[in-house]
Amino acid sequence: MSELSIAILGTGNIGTDLLLKVQRSQSLSCRLFAGRNLASPGMTKAAKLGVPVSAEGIHGIERVAGEVDLVFDATSAAGHLLHAPVLKSLGMIAVDLTPAKVGKMCVPAVNLNECLESVNVNMVTCGGQASIPLAYAIGQAHQEVEYIETVSSIASRSAGPGTRINLDEYLETTESGLRSFSGCQKSKAILNLNPAQPCIHMQTTVMAKVQEPDLTRIRAEFRKVVSLITPYVPGYEVIVEPLLENGRVISMVRVSGLGDYLPKFAGNLDIINCAAIAYAEALAKKRMGA
Amino acid sequence: MSDAPSLTLCDATLRDGSHAYQHQITAEQIQAYASAAEAAGVAYLEVGHGNGLGASSLQVGESLLTDEEMLTLAKEPLKHTKLSVHIIPGFATIQRDIQLAMDLGVELFRIGCHCTEADVCERHISFLRQQSEEVWGVLMMSHMASAAVLLEEAKKMQSYGAQGIVLMDSAGAYLPEEVKQKVGLLVENLEVAVGFHAHQNLGLAIANSLVAVEAGARILDGTAKGFGAGAGNAPLELLVAVLQQKQILTGVDLYAMLDAANLVERLFGSALPTMSDVSIVSGLAGVFSGFAKPVKRVAEQFQVDPRDIFVELGKRRVVGGQEDLIVEVASALAAGKETI
Amino acid sequence: MNAQAQHLVKSDVERALSTALPRLESLAGKHIFLSGATGCLGLWLLEYVKVLNEDHGFSLQVSALQRNEHDLLTRAPHLAQFEGLSLLSGDVRYLDGIPADVTHVIHAAALSDRRLLASRPVEVAEVNALGTHRILQAVRLLEDVHNVVLLSSGLVYGTQPLDCERITEQFTGELPSNTVNAVYAESKRFAEAIAVGFASESKIPLSIVRPFAVIGPYQRLDLPWAVTDFIRDSFHGGPIKIMGDGTTVRSIMYAGDFASWVLCACAAKLRGETFNVGSPEAIDLLTLAEKITSHFSPQPDIQLNAGHLGHHPSRLVPEVSHAQNTLGVGFSLNLDQAITQTLTWNRYIRSS
Repeated sequence: MSELSIAILGTGNIGTDLLLKVQRSQSLSCRLFAGRNLASPGMTKAAKLGVPVSAEGIHGIERVAGEVDLVFDATSAAGHLLHAPVLKSLGMIAVDLTPAKVGKMCVPAVNLNECLESVNVNMVTCGGQASIPLAYAIGQAHQEVEYIETVSSIASRSAGPGTRINLDEYLETTESGLRSFSGCQKSKAILNLNPAQPCIHMQTTVMAKVQEPDLTRIRAEFRKVVSLITPYVPGYEVIVEPLLENGRVISMVRVSGLGDYLPKFAGNLDIINCAAIAYAEALAKKRMGA
Repeated sequence: MSDAPSLTLCDATLRDGSHAYQHQITAEQIQAYASAAEAAGVAYLEVGHGNGLGASSLQVGESLLTDEEMLTLAKEPLKHTKLSVHIIPGFATIQRDIQLAMDLGVELFRIGCHCTEADVCERHISFLRQQSEEVWGVLMMSHMASAAVLLEEAKKMQSYGAQGIVLMDSAGAYLPEEVKQKVGLLVENLEVAVGFHAHQNLGLAIANSLVAVEAGARILDGTAKGFGAGAGNAPLELLVAVLQQKQILTGVDLYAMLDAANLVERLFGSALPTMSDVSIVSGLAGVFSGFAKPVKRVAEQFQVDPRDIFVELGKRRVVGGQEDLIVEVASALAAGKETI
Repeated sequence: MNAQAQHLVKSDVERALSTALPRLESLAGKHIFLSGATGCLGLWLLEYVKVLNEDHGFSLQVSALQRNEHDLLTRAPHLAQFEGLSLLSGDVRYLDGIPADVTHVIHAAALSDRRLLASRPVEVAEVNALGTHRILQAVRLLEDVHNVVLLSSGLVYGTQPLDCERITEQFTGELPSNTVNAVYAESKRFAEAIAVGFASESKIPLSIVRPFAVIGPYQRLDLPWAVTDFIRDSFHGGPIKIMGDGTTVRSIMYAGDFASWVLCACAAKLRGETFNVGSPEAIDLLTLAEKITSHFSPQPDIQLNAGHLGHHPSRLVPEVSHAQNTLGVGFSLNLDQAITQTLTWNRYIRSS
């Protein structure tokens, strides 16, 4: 078998976008697209693509035990808490796109290899996928980072009901991700929703306080990490290279989506899907090599 | 006739003023002003970082004092005047910030968001109402949405449990007829009291506040000497004077309010907002008044005209909290690049 | 299709555009998704787009959804292929997406045939309400959506009192929901509610259009409506049977004007508005029948009280000043002219 066999749990917009990305991938093949509603637009799309579908959710996955190596969970935090132990017992790797925080936090540009041994990886948050690599770069350039902060502005239309009701969890998860990847003790995350039309593309700023910032080193680390992200997030674009302003190091990126199923402006949703795919492809590569 | 105030005045001096003071308001200043506000008899005193609880950050400016310090200091002299906080979901969280404010004895929680995004407040408003706290909803940058949209968003907040709805003219961009239309529509269709929070960029803060009252608003925000973001707020001492002239009861003592204004002059002196070319352009561009200080600073660093920054930000329809865009716009202007 | 019939329609479009054109300029270079492309309104809209592209350099793209693959080719072959048109086929209930770069959506697909409503009310409800749900689900994924125009119905108002001259967009009349007759109106009401829900939740710019009776080319004469009955029966030599005493009141708009109003609503920058679209000129059915039969020789008979005694007259006449004032729309033909054009067009079609 040259391909990693995967399943997608959750057939909403995120799951359907993942499906299109999997279809394009050379090393992944979708064994099952499982959700609850056979009539949903995502299911219709999958059926048209000839992908096997199931309306039985996790039970549908159970029926293909032994045929699936990895499951993307694009349901909800509550859903993943129920699914995680089932997937584990089935021997399937869980890639969690919900905010359930069951498994190891994975930001491919930073810790891809460490995560390849985990049975459950979580993709942090959209703002985390965009900002953590930059925070990590600063942490690489400076032993001591006093404080790190990230601000993401996303199009109002890209924030669904789940994002809106879970803003607090988003902030907490992003903050903890920033801390653990930069080695900094103190972090803050801010999220803005902007309703402007046409929709703004996701924009993420990382700011940090460090003693005697070494901009040359920070920039070198920054470029290194950006070069690791752009292969899996083609729409990741640096708008402001690290610079010093008012005593803080500031850098800014814009993330445009691939526009597979989700609109291009929803770079916030695309980046987390791209990260999940990057993880699965790395695992495929590793297993092929093994 | 009853002597009960028919209009509730909210004093935002120690919250909106934070924008004008780069969030460096000191313990002494808080103590002194809180006592003066209590003496004047304002209904509510709002205290904290300009962007509310949990907002101290590199993005919108770090506070000199923590939320806990500010609220504790302000609470101390208050007896009749109630302590209020501003909360923006996306900055503040229930666990970290709202819980703390409850513990410190805050009596009014004003949950604000960009005027089209009321549903991000659902959790926070519901949580506070379940704790039987007083909660209002605040629609910020409300010049950016139509009256019909504002009503829809206000109704969402009302259904989450908000007991008052305040329209903020965060950019100082409203003209009086717009105040009349928007406040009027909300008053007609909401069960809860409606308020208006004016800014002075186009010199209309008092006029707009009066129009709001005529349209049925029961709550007005103001700050002593207009101490606040951009060209400042509706000066409370003027509001009290004008309302007295119109025989509208506010429960505020005019002389004590004038004293509070004098105190603000002594405490904050040169930081008091004034009209300027930049604040006028900011109002015309419809950009959040809180951007004034950072725009000034960034314009100097990048050697660009702050007015051009405001115009560009206005074109991009930025909302409060997007201060990071100032650096991007300024660096683009400086590079002579064509930006979108 | 008959060249004379085509020419008649095109000249109507040009006449309407002579005043409406400036209001449509915001559509230049844009991409419209049109559901219900083979209905009377859909065909008229395609006629407009064709003229806008061919004679006015609009470079409009239109993705037109037809239910079955060859519907458009069968009904109006001259519209099945022109610069800017992409044809999509499928049932709106099972739509799996809208092209990502669509900027304007006109959702005109609906079942409105009274016969279908009588025998298959469940399907009518499903297509009208759930079709709207499906369209808006897809709209949520568009990159840059400027406007979604939902074609509702003048029937959402319920019963217009006989002493109420015209109903405004704020009017609500009696509408009992627990009869099968209510299914059509309720499906349209629910479609509106669904759309308003999407607009609120997902910040989708929405305009609702509530059309009233129309007459004109492309209107299928097999539909059992008063005006189509009168025309069809006149072509067959009569007699025309009016169930009641002929005092039932309607108002009739020319289909070409209907389409131009819808297009103007689509192009307008207003959001969250609801517009009545129709003629504000009341006409009783007897007068309408007389106007139609006068074009035939020998003139067909008109029989009143063809139904049972006690048939209650009804009234359905919209106030359209909101659309006229905010969209700047007007009428390019009065009712007499509209009838003449319609009959002429039908004669061309019948002769070919």
